[in-house]
Amino acid sequence: MNYPFWDVPLIGSGWVIGTIAIFHVVISHFAIGGGFYLPIAERKALAEGRADWMEILRNHSRFFLILTGVFGAVSGVGIWFSIGLAHPEATSTLIHNFVFAWAIEWVFFVVELTAAAVYYYTWGKLDSRTHLKVGWVYALSSWMSLVIINGILTFMLTPGERWLSVAGSGNEASAFWSAFFNPTYWPSLFLRTLVMISLAGIFALFTAAAIDGYERPQLKTEIVRWSSRWLVPSFVLMPFFFAWYLFSVPESQRQLLQLGISTIGQGTFTQVTRAALVSVMTSATIVAIVYFVAYKQARSFSRGWAWTILLLAVAATAATEQAREMLRKPYVIGNHMYSNGIRTSEVASFNEAGYLTNSIWLREDERRSLQDGGSRLAAGELIFRGQCASCHTRDGYRSMRRLLQGRNRQAIENLLGVLHRSEANSTYRFMPPLVGSKQEIEALADYLENMVTEPVRTAGL
Amino acid sequence: MQTSLWRSRKVLVWLDERLALTELLEYARHKTVPEHKHSFWYYWGGISMFFFLIQVFTGVLLMVYYRPGAESYESVREITYDIRFGWLIRSAHSWSANLMVLAVFIHMFSVFFMKAYRKPREFGWWSGLALLALTMTFGFSGYLLPMDELAYFATKVGLELPASLPLVGKFINDVVRGGPEVGSVTIQRFFALHVVVLPLIFIPVLAFHLWLVQKHGNALPPSEEQKPIAERRSIPFFPDFFSKDLAMWLVALNVLAILASLYPWQLGPQADPLAPAPAGIHPEWYFMSQFQLLKLFGRWFPGVTGEVLGLVFFTLILLLWAIVPLYDTGTAAGRRAKVATWFGITVLALLIVTTIWGYWEVL
Repeated sequence: MNYPFWDVPLIGSGWVIGTIAIFHVVISHFAIGGGFYLPIAERKALAEGRADWMEILRNHSRFFLILTGVFGAVSGVGIWFSIGLAHPEATSTLIHNFVFAWAIEWVFFVVELTAAAVYYYTWGKLDSRTHLKVGWVYALSSWMSLVIINGILTFMLTPGERWLSVAGSGNEASAFWSAFFNPTYWPSLFLRTLVMISLAGIFALFTAAAIDGYERPQLKTEIVRWSSRWLVPSFVLMPFFFAWYLFSVPESQRQLLQLGISTIGQGTFTQVTRAALVSVMTSATIVAIVYFVAYKQARSFSRGWAWTILLLAVAATAATEQAREMLRKPYVIGNHMYSNGIRTSEVASFNEAGYLTNSIWLREDERRSLQDGGSRLAAGELIFRGQCASCHTRDGYRSMRRLLQGRNRQAIENLLGVLHRSEANSTYRFMPPLVGSKQEIEALADYLENMVTEPVRTAGL
Repeated sequence: MQTSLWRSRKVLVWLDERLALTELLEYARHKTVPEHKHSFWYYWGGISMFFFLIQVFTGVLLMVYYRPGAESYESVREITYDIRFGWLIRSAHSWSANLMVLAVFIHMFSVFFMKAYRKPREFGWWSGLALLALTMTFGFSGYLLPMDELAYFATKVGLELPASLPLVGKFINDVVRGGPEVGSVTIQRFFALHVVVLPLIFIPVLAFHLWLVQKHGNALPPSEEQKPIAERRSIPFFPDFFSKDLAMWLVALNVLAILASLYPWQLGPQADPLAPAPAGIHPEWYFMSQFQLLKLFGRWFPGVTGEVLGLVFFTLILLLWAIVPLYDTGTAAGRRAKVATWFGITVLALLIVTTIWGYWEVL
């Protein structure tokens, strides 16, 4: 039984999604922010009669088209593949609830891709007013794709009381709009729009860095400084929108952040707090470097520095997205489905009748073998794959062997007991409850004990 | 407001009369740094020094609670789990040590390939090599101090390197260990080495190295040197390069903070000298190449011959590496310049390949 529990050694399935998603988020946000940058810059260049600006913008639009149209689109499909494999239940829930929204997003997506291609290939072929209009068509259609996908992404954190009240009834469609415009929809939309504007500036700096500052000092200085200013809205407004976002998140999730802040000293602070702090630190560093290295020394601003800023932006994006994902713990869909695909409504029945007995992913021969008193280790492994492996690996990321190192059988059983009871004040509150019958939990303890006592090969670093 | 401004100006004037600050500032403004497509590599010396400063700062904080000797493991356990922010300071110390070694390696290879060892910078090259050797000794001596299982066995393995030296190997080992086995006496010796002896040597060598950099300025890579002087570009050291250098330090701090907070340095179980060594034990990554080379020679030439041949090979490369400035003295296009570049590429490839090979065999 591997599918639907996708077993990725060392990095785990979460990081497969994470790696693709970080890449995709950076490019897709640039695809929208950059979509506004191009027509606004073109409009400015037209108004001021700057042919030299137009030449740079044309180059930038080619870079833009290749990066967003190829890598952005391909990585978007990659996310679909990976979430379908890692979280089939959650993906299924999203598709069943938002298929109509996705259809609308795809309409905007097709318009967006077409407009981007037309915009680049018609430089100098269309009259300037029409060309500018194509740029605006692109900008607005790309932003509309965010308007749609933002509803689905924020739904996963805060589906809202109305949708939760009909979840599982077959009548979910009646709560479509409240699920879509859920409590974190608006702050998230504004936050993402700010990030897009910043990324537009950062990628424009990348193109501007290639201008020879000694041969064309005025042009380079103007473009570098103008692009740097695109980071100002984020710098000024981000803290306010971030606070709004946090206050829209349910108290139980916000407590994860508070728990992390209060335990920093002891070193037990949560992953979400670590990621949130990294996000704040890298974002502040970007602003400082853009000001001191790009804005103040525009003429000598080099590609090396553009790369540095871009890599910091990737780190900031990764940390922010990780913090957002972690804030949702222990759920993959807030208060509806845990991060291992078990619905909150299924916990009682799984505890009573057994997790494996209820699992729809078990083959019949596996089920019969377990019912006939088959290997407890095999049963333990199935439970591990089903309930632990969506977040933990054996030897790599969040390694179970490392986390359980030094624990004997009794200590493992105690830990499983805490997870099974899922106490509200437990430090494991970011983990889903362990579900299953008494025998199944013992089987899992067998499996984990066996895993811990196997010889470990440890790296020096 | 005006009064406070006037007062601060008065303080500045008072300081300037005694410390000649204006002269220093003027000098810094007139000093220039070359600007070209390889300028990125100029930052690595500064990055190495930044990590060294972090080492000093976090090292002093760790010393407040660390107890060398029989209690070393317990004290590191307290630092990691009981003392507030102890885990972060220890993690920052360990990560910055590794990042410093990496930065020094990158700095060395960038200096090599930009041929910045040529006249009049020979002593810069030699003092840099001495700093690299000292940095690696810092790493080796610091690695044992927590005295957990990995530290203990990795140090035992690491001491096999000097032990294989003919004639003096055993003597060096006995002196370093303070006995036939790695134990609490060894920790005290390593601690003294780590916090007193090495800094006493490192700081003057670093000062000498920095003075040479200051004296001769940044070297131009061959591709820039060939350009007519009128076509060469430069920026003022102050404030332009200085602010970029600080910005790079900020980036380095970000990298360190990300690693130290998201991947805190672990403490393994306490070392048990009577227990068998865990499988796959090996020295730190920056000794892996030498470790693997000795292993390979031992495998190809069984017995003492292999060890001796391995050491001869290794010493020869090190010697050639050190005397490159005396060999490659010509122009960019000369034959010796090309030979030196190919030698550098070979050494770099050898380092990377043997390091990966080493990890491949033990993991």
